[in-house]
Amino acid sequence: MALIVLVGLPLLVGAVLVVAGRALADRVSRGLALAAVLVALGVGIGASWTRPSFDVAWLPELGLRLHLALDGVSVPLVLLTVVVGVLVVVLARDSMPEGGSPATVLGCLLLVEGGALATFAARDAVLFFVAFEVVLIPMWVLITRFGDPHDLRARREAGHRFLLYTVIGSTLMLIGILVLVTSAGTSDFSELLSAGAELPRGRQLTIALLLTVGLAVKVPVFPLHTWLPSAHTIAPTVGSVLLAAILLKMGTYGLVRLPLASVPEGFAVIAPWLAIAGVVGIIWGALVCLVERDLKRLIAYSSVAHMGFVVLGIASGTEIGLQAALYGNLAHGVISALLFVVVGGLKSRWGSVDLGRVLPALREVAPHRGFFLILGLAAALGLPGLAGFWGEFFAIVAAWQPADLADIAVMRTCAVVAAIGGLLAAAYSLRVANLLWIGDAHPVEWSLDEEMEDSISSSSDHSTDAGRGAGAGAGSGSRELSTEVETSGGERLVLLVLSAGIFGLGLMPWWAMDVMAPSIQSLIGVRP
Amino acid sequence: MTPVANPSLEWLRLAPALAPVVGLLLVLLVDALWPKQRGLHVAIGAFSLAAGASAAVPGALSTADAPVLSLCVPGGLDGACLWSAGPIASTLQIGVLASTLAVLLLMLDRDRGDAVDVVLLLGAAAGGVAVAASRDLGTWLVTLELATIPIVALVALRGAGRAVHAATTLLMTSLLSFALLVVGVALWLTATSDPSFSEVSVRAAWADPTTRPVLAVAAIALIAGLAFKLSLVPFHAWTPIAWGEGPIPVTTLLASTSKLAATAALIVVLEPFAALVGARPGPHAVAFVLGALAIASMVVGTVVAFRQHDVVRLLAWSTLAQGGWVVLPLAALTAAGARAASAYALVYAAAVIVAFAAASTLPSRRLTAYTGLIRTHPHVGLPLAFALLTFAGLPPGVLGLVAKVAAMRAPAQVGLWPLSVLAVAGVVLGIAVYARWLAVLVASPVPGGAEGSDGEPFDVGRGAMAVLAIGTALLLVASVLPNVLFGLLG
Repeated sequence: MALIVLVGLPLLVGAVLVVAGRALADRVSRGLALAAVLVALGVGIGASWTRPSFDVAWLPELGLRLHLALDGVSVPLVLLTVVVGVLVVVLARDSMPEGGSPATVLGCLLLVEGGALATFAARDAVLFFVAFEVVLIPMWVLITRFGDPHDLRARREAGHRFLLYTVIGSTLMLIGILVLVTSAGTSDFSELLSAGAELPRGRQLTIALLLTVGLAVKVPVFPLHTWLPSAHTIAPTVGSVLLAAILLKMGTYGLVRLPLASVPEGFAVIAPWLAIAGVVGIIWGALVCLVERDLKRLIAYSSVAHMGFVVLGIASGTEIGLQAALYGNLAHGVISALLFVVVGGLKSRWGSVDLGRVLPALREVAPHRGFFLILGLAAALGLPGLAGFWGEFFAIVAAWQPADLADIAVMRTCAVVAAIGGLLAAAYSLRVANLLWIGDAHPVEWSLDEEMEDSISSSSDHSTDAGRGAGAGAGSGSRELSTEVETSGGERLVLLVLSAGIFGLGLMPWWAMDVMAPSIQSLIGVRP
Repeated sequence: MTPVANPSLEWLRLAPALAPVVGLLLVLLVDALWPKQRGLHVAIGAFSLAAGASAAVPGALSTADAPVLSLCVPGGLDGACLWSAGPIASTLQIGVLASTLAVLLLMLDRDRGDAVDVVLLLGAAAGGVAVAASRDLGTWLVTLELATIPIVALVALRGAGRAVHAATTLLMTSLLSFALLVVGVALWLTATSDPSFSEVSVRAAWADPTTRPVLAVAAIALIAGLAFKLSLVPFHAWTPIAWGEGPIPVTTLLASTSKLAATAALIVVLEPFAALVGARPGPHAVAFVLGALAIASMVVGTVVAFRQHDVVRLLAWSTLAQGGWVVLPLAALTAAGARAASAYALVYAAAVIVAFAAASTLPSRRLTAYTGLIRTHPHVGLPLAFALLTFAGLPPGVLGLVAKVAAMRAPAQVGLWPLSVLAVAGVVLGIAVYARWLAVLVASPVPGGAEGSDGEPFDVGRGAMAVLAIGTALLLVASVLPNVLFGLLG
């Protein structure tokens, strides 16, 4: 029953808020949303402890059951989701994206949260797919309706691209699920563990291909990642946070739950290819980050790189690899959420965060925001003691000693390349820190670029158009950026919680690892 | 014992088809006695449709092994009954009658619904109901035409030049389709020497190498004839013309009632082929034709729909794709496929009725007139958005998603999963089409948007409001509890 509340309450309140729209007073809708996410937080923590289970027939004609339960793999993600759910609602208090009624924004946030919780709690493969699809439309509304107010065309394009890419992925995954379910004769995850493994090798390979390609779009894995940067750049801050912290996690969770656990033989065949795609993503993402000017887009590309490490861990097929992947998944959720809050706050005040301009030094004008930025960058480059370290370190260790010794040459090469990618991460993190935190550096390489002059004048027009937040300093026609970019109350609270998460995950990795270990062993334990 | 026995006749079991016929006669009688009583005609029509639908409920609750039978010929070939309404046929009958009722309500807002309109509507409904339960070639052919011809008249009635053009196109198409159906029926009779669609004779005809090709050609001719009525590529050319030029209530009838009747007729033809699944050689030609029609319709329909700026034309082209989704599960030639196809057709019919009810309230058919409709007129915009999401198969339109899952599952079950992979293109292109409309709905309102450039007022009639409310409620309930629908189909 607790799980029905956990999943159903955000969905129900979200639907009510979206339908009610302006009919509800602002305060009522905010209160309703906050109450819903707080209840979800409480129930989520309780359910992670008691691990209840819920199982009723939903659509017997298709063999579809409403079967929800939590295990070690899903508990950390459920906790991440309920915490981030509270954080985005708190964040929306200060920086409510413009373009429609606040109730619609909050409703969409809740629908995404509910859909993600349903995805992580689903124990039935077809239900998993249905829950997977629930998040699409609310996220699409957040991007197209409430995204970057400057560019309507780009907003629409980014929204459509997000929707269509992820739908291609999820439909391929659906076919994989349908073939798997009809071949194995069951759609229950725990029964699929043994029923799927008994299928003939060729059939397993077909299913694994369909599932992996489908889920790789969502993760995203190079070269299927092209929807992510535009979606992140355009989405409002709350949307970017949800996208990075929750939506991408659904892809990696699905990879572990479906192809890896259900059709192990088939997955083993494509694992090296997945590993190669992962490390290409690491290098590609890092190289783009070294030259990208738009900071939001840069963080999106760094997500591609981090997800490369996660995929590498999954591809290794070992217990350490899976630990690393799921831990890296969690860490990336916290780190990228923090970075998007920091940068989203800047973007809403400046109109854009273009690293090609002369930027005020955050260490001086906004020491708190500057600190959080440095913390996020340090965690992203994998500094030991912070959250990002364990996932990347153990992913490389796992790739060095893969489960399938036949692929050892490929996997060790991947491990080496991934380590180089880790170095590149340090380079681009320092680049951002240099330009934004130390600041006042004239970016020589573009100083004479006419295009840049245009972008300065046009974006300062934008900041006067937008003229919101603490935008008092964005003087009309002035080329100076506002220096009043210090974190505001709600923002600071959110950043503090996320920082605590970064330190917590970095200093006490055994906590989450112990929760995950038994379930991971059972996922790969039944292998022949 | 008499050598030629009369078929048994159970009036109550035939009531789903007889109720609209009785209603039709009553309307004619009332019109002769007291002319120009529009309210009375509509009331009689609505009552007879509702009575027919409730009479079909026992059939929907029956099981596939024990359908509601009537007009049985004692001593005939394998005890054949001319009327056999199992769960699938009965649920489709309910869909046919309910959709006709919705069209009747929509007509009220348009100052239509006089005696002629009601009679034609009831005639089309009776035809659609009867074809779903017919099991012999003669009844099947005649009732299928009965379901079609009144619609031609409805398109033409009181229309100006363009509507007559549309009606002529529709009539020519119907004649062509009828010709193909007659050829198909004749070949079927030649191959099976049995004037009914029965598994026994199909199996016998398929086992014999001389009659096998004749039966295959017969089935393909029948499928082609019905492909006209389902607007499948390449038999679709009439659809944008007839839909675009006819009045919206009649277009709704073409989109829902007519499509359900054609689906029911196709299921009647394909049902006996379930006996051949797994046979050697299997009915590959039939499955191939169905699969090819499905994929071609999905791709062509959505690609052209994407370029439309007129919402009725957009729906007209996208109905090609939706027809493809109805046929896709039928390619499996199994009972599960027939269930999935009828479920899809019913979901589509409900959603398209809601979409047209919303469209009928707007003075303009341009896509731009819908800008910001969700905010300016949420009581129209939200149901429309829900219908579009159901078409696209995206939550919260869970019902559309479940219908798509069922439609892809049937081919996957018999090993035809590559067909489902091709259908991915249909899913994605379809979502692009509907997302384009949705993006307009959720955009910021512009001054004078929904009112149209000519300043015509935005007028939601009572009929359209009732259809919107009931249709959305049905879609919502079935989205939360899909087995309300799937349970009825057995």
